[in-house]
Amino acid sequence: MQQTTNNQDKLQDLKPEALDPQVSEAGREEVLRIKDMNVTYVNRNKKVKAVRHASLTIYKGDSMGLIGESGSGKSTLAMALLGLLPKKSTLIDGEAIFMGDKNLLTLSNKELNQLRWTEIAVVFQKAMNSLSPVHRISTIFEDIYLAHKPGTSKQDIRKISLALLDLVNLPERVYTLYPHELSGGMLQRVAIAMSLLFSPQLLIFDEATTALDVVTQGQILKEIQNMEEKLSTTRIMITHDMSVVAASCNKMAVLYAGEILEFGYVSQLMKTPYHPYTQALLASFPALHGEKKQLESIPGFLPDLSSDLSARCVFAPRCKNAGPRCHKEKPYLKPSPCGCGEVACFMYDGGVE
Amino acid sequence: MQRSWLQSFVKAFRADRQLRYGILGMVFLLIVIIFAPYIATHDPYSFDYTRLLAPGTDGHILGTNHLGQDVFSMIVYGVRTSLKVALISALISGAIGVLVGGLGGFLGGKVDLIISELINIFLMIPSFFLILLIIALFGNSIVNVMIVIGITTWPSNAKLMRSQALSLRERTFVKSAVALGESNSQILFKYILPNGIFPVIANTTRGMSGAILTEASLSFLGLGDPNIVSWGQLIYQGKPFITSAWWISVFAGISIVITVIFFYLLGDGLNHVLNPKYNYGRN
Amino acid sequence: MSRFVLRRLISGFLTVLTVFVINFMIIQAAPGDPVKTIMGKETDDPQLRMALEAKFGLDKPWPERLWNQFSAAMQGDLGTSIIYNRPVGDMIKERVLPTVLLGLTSAILALVIGTALGIFCARREGSFLDGLFSTVSYTLDAMPSFWLGLMLIILFCSQLRWLPAQGMVNVRAGYEGWDKVVDVLIHMILPTLTLTLISMPGYFRIAKSSIQQVTSEDFILTLRAAGIDDGKIFRKYIFKNAILPTITMFGITLAFLITGVTLVEIVFSWPGMGRLTMTAINQLDYPTLMGVYLIMSISVAVMMVVVDIVYALFDPRIRYN
Repeated sequence: MQQTTNNQDKLQDLKPEALDPQVSEAGREEVLRIKDMNVTYVNRNKKVKAVRHASLTIYKGDSMGLIGESGSGKSTLAMALLGLLPKKSTLIDGEAIFMGDKNLLTLSNKELNQLRWTEIAVVFQKAMNSLSPVHRISTIFEDIYLAHKPGTSKQDIRKISLALLDLVNLPERVYTLYPHELSGGMLQRVAIAMSLLFSPQLLIFDEATTALDVVTQGQILKEIQNMEEKLSTTRIMITHDMSVVAASCNKMAVLYAGEILEFGYVSQLMKTPYHPYTQALLASFPALHGEKKQLESIPGFLPDLSSDLSARCVFAPRCKNAGPRCHKEKPYLKPSPCGCGEVACFMYDGGVE
Repeated sequence: MQRSWLQSFVKAFRADRQLRYGILGMVFLLIVIIFAPYIATHDPYSFDYTRLLAPGTDGHILGTNHLGQDVFSMIVYGVRTSLKVALISALISGAIGVLVGGLGGFLGGKVDLIISELINIFLMIPSFFLILLIIALFGNSIVNVMIVIGITTWPSNAKLMRSQALSLRERTFVKSAVALGESNSQILFKYILPNGIFPVIANTTRGMSGAILTEASLSFLGLGDPNIVSWGQLIYQGKPFITSAWWISVFAGISIVITVIFFYLLGDGLNHVLNPKYNYGRN
Repeated sequence: MSRFVLRRLISGFLTVLTVFVINFMIIQAAPGDPVKTIMGKETDDPQLRMALEAKFGLDKPWPERLWNQFSAAMQGDLGTSIIYNRPVGDMIKERVLPTVLLGLTSAILALVIGTALGIFCARREGSFLDGLFSTVSYTLDAMPSFWLGLMLIILFCSQLRWLPAQGMVNVRAGYEGWDKVVDVLIHMILPTLTLTLISMPGYFRIAKSSIQQVTSEDFILTLRAAGIDDGKIFRKYIFKNAILPTITMFGITLAFLITGVTLVEIVFSWPGMGRLTMTAINQLDYPTLMGVYLIMSISVAVMMVVVDIVYALFDPRIRYN
């Protein structure tokens, strides 16, 4: 409860320049440009199109919230970007240009290994499981460091690691402990510290705070933001929790059934969401400021991703504004009425009839 | 309720290959048990000390042993012995295990401390030797064999049941029954045992194959019931003739292997279906 | 850690005590009469009977006998065989070495081969070889050890005539020195092969499933995302995590070493503890039976405590629970 209030306060605290796209985007470096990316899981008797036609650009200094229900393809997208999906059972096409010249989707594993952690690092969902239980924290830090900078002395690695642990408010002694000796919140901090070992260009947080209690989650989100002010990293925040996005991101992309339905500034989308799905998501998220509204849940289920979704809006069956056109034609991302984001909905593109 | 149970069974039967083969195997064994007198070509108890025949001679499909008994017919009747031993000893072992483990897990506290220590101790006792000792001293009737296997193999069932009861105790429907003032024994028999018994059933199926192997081992040591036809005994009888009349031991052993594999398949299949750790909806 | 060790030690001691009491109770309740057995069926001399009862302490009340036997056993005195009139401890000592030789060799072979195959199949799941090894493993797991031994005798002794089927040495040849070692090794091949084949499926299964399970853990994903070379992830992280259940299993095998070997010893007439037990059973030699069973239980209890402690050294999580 307390936490949600904080989130709302955050909205008001957002810096004014973040609200203005023209100012913030001009002259900024592109970190990642995803263009028409598709991820398909192939199994013996069916193909599941987990991500379809995803296009998204992330600029330096952005913190992009990737929000969606479970099964919306948000983790698949991240895993595909990191090249961690099993090659045998997945088909990936499209482009994901990192730092202007490298297509992440076509790099070999060897080339990817050079990028991994030095340029792109990730923090996974369950921190308790993201560290080997039979190795000390120090061993894991050392191995990761040595994989990219072989020959570094253990003292040097220790020095760097301790500085990072300090950055996430952990005491020195943590470095020599085993994972099971730490609490969930501490483990999450360790995982975050670990992701910063080489000050990567891009950080991906995959539901990194979901398993934590709200108080710890709030603290960690705050720490992440403080840390970013010092390190100027770019971040993708994958989550199903609107409050996490509200508290820690400046932009957001809304994913549904493998497609991006809306994209824009958090400050603006929180106030005036355009896509009916974004509206529904926000309605299911309690606002403690202002009038008390009935929390809404969205009726219906996610569509079957192995069925043919190429000629309709994926959200149409659950959409209260849907018209005949929504079931016959697919809406693509178009600039939204405010000119500050994009939305894939016929309501803003010639009507639903 | 009844119908959805049946439906999920049919679904599991289709989805799980091991369960399917296991059940088909059981059906096959049952048919052999019921129709043994029709399947068998000879009376397995008819002796003829003058004839030790190789497979295929004089209508003896798998030959005869040194007493002139027809090996094929003995194998057919041997299914009865093996399954009887498996079933009854598993029932005894399951019943003791479920009661002891259920009681410990449900009551908790000092009782549980004693029971779990007891389970640990009995898990460490070499059970085959205990069985050997008891059978050697108390006589080798098939009834003794079944009882002794039953009372020496309960600890693994008890361990499973105990952990089930421990977690069930914390569930709302048990707590509300406690709050409603139902007696301990009512709760144990009405809620804990019926809800926690499934993993024990899967384990018991594996236990049955263990019982079949144990019975065969005892028979092989000459501690089987001499009045009964059993596969282990056939192997035992064949041992002195292993170089001259190999068929006495070979086919009985093959029967044991096949039967035990059926039970393994059934046990693994049941484990997939009954164990909450596996979820069929997802695959 | 020391509390953990202490708890395990107490548990081990309680096990030995329980075995002792069970053992005693069984023999008390058993219908046979050892004095009658030793006197022979024909003689029935009351004086001889009394002398024998006094000799074996059968004339005293049972609690006293239980206590006497227990304190004697704790001092290493396992009683005297009523058939051979020799200390049971000495008889066991003679037989332990061959049993341990057989059991240990095959346990190590099964551990190494089974685990290696398990790892091999875990990394090639769904391949032809994986299917083949898994099926063979499932079948071997269902096989009675003594039967497999007999089958190997049919194949290698009566058909191919390559290897000896019985005993530990060729008594008639009377080899000495190096020749004797080779002779023992040749005699060991078949029983060792039998035991190895029988215990391999356990290691195979456990290695395969735990490698698969660890490989799918989140921390492996993190390490891959961190750009560490797959080979190193496997050697250092997957292997160290996945090998823990195998260590436990090897420990349990060692604990039950003597009991596990018995049936195969009998098939191959190997002069170990199994044969000793068999003879004792056939002759109703109670003190020997009790001694053998007690030694087995003690070795199981001791080994299980050792296994738990060794395991705790490998897995930091255990030490604190």
